[in-house]
Amino acid sequence: MLERLIFVLFALPAVVAGVAILLSTNIVRMAFWLITMLISVAGLYFLMGAYFLGVVQILVYVGGVAVLLVFGVMLTSRQLAPKLRPGPVETLWLATVSAILLLGLVLSILRAHTGMEPLPVPVANSPADIGHSLMGDFLGPFELASVLLLVAMLGAAYLARPKVPVQNPQGSKGGAV
Amino acid sequence: MGVTPYLILSAILLVLGLTIVISKRNAIVMLIGVEFILNAAALNLVAFSRHGIGGLAGQTAALFVIVIAAAEAVVALAIFLNFYHRIATVDIDRGDQLKG
Repeated sequence: MLERLIFVLFALPAVVAGVAILLSTNIVRMAFWLITMLISVAGLYFLMGAYFLGVVQILVYVGGVAVLLVFGVMLTSRQLAPKLRPGPVETLWLATVSAILLLGLVLSILRAHTGMEPLPVPVANSPADIGHSLMGDFLGPFELASVLLLVAMLGAAYLARPKVPVQNPQGSKGGAV
Repeated sequence: MGVTPYLILSAILLVLGLTIVISKRNAIVMLIGVEFILNAAALNLVAFSRHGIGGLAGQTAALFVIVIAAAEAVVALAIFLNFYHRIATVDIDRGDQLKG
C-alpha cells in the first residue's frame, strides 16, 4: 500500500512535467519541468531498490545534462524563439496519433502476462555488484562506452569551436566551412 | 505491486516524449523530448530487473542508457550551436539548405 502511494507520488510529477512541456511556450520553464521528470524517475529507481542508478541519474542527468540544456537555451534564445505551439490542425493530428499510440501500448501491456511480482529480496545491487557486472558480462559494452564518451567529447569540442559566422552561404565569400 | 504500473508509466513517458519531439520546432526542446524517451526506456529496464527478469543486467543496461544519453546531449547541443551560428535561430524548419 505504501509502495503504491510512493509510486503515485513519483509517477504523477513525471507525467505532469511532460504535459506541462507540451503546453508551455517558455523554454526555461520546460527545462525546469525536465528536471522535475528526471528527479521523479530517480525517485522511482530508489523505490525499486536501484540505489546506485538513482544516484547516477541525479548526478549525470540533473547535474549534467539538464544544466547543459539550460546553457543551450541561454546561448540560443537571444533571437525571437521559433514557434513553440502547433496550429489547431496540427494539434488535432498530433493528439490523434499520440492517443492511438498510447492506447495500443497500454492495451498490449495489459494483455501481456502481468503476473510478475517483485522479488522478495531485491537482486544483489550494491555498487560493487554493478561493478562486477560491468567488468564481467558487460566488459565489451563498457569499453565501447568509454570510446563513445571520448569521441563525443572530442566531437563536441570540434563542432562547437568558434569560427566566422556565415550568414549567406550563396554569397560571394564562402567564409569558414 | 507488479511490473504493470511501471510499464504503463513508461509508455506514457514515451508517448509524451514522442509528442514533444514531433510538435516542437525548437531544436533544444526536441532534445528534451528525446530525454523523456530515453528515461522511459531505462525505467522499463530497471522495472524488469526488479521483477526478476535478467537479474542485474537491466540495471547495467540502464546505466549504459544514461551514458549514451549524456553523449547524445553533448553532441546534439554542439550541432545546434553550430546551426545557431549559421542561421541565427534554432528553428529546425529553417535548416533546409540541403534541399535539392
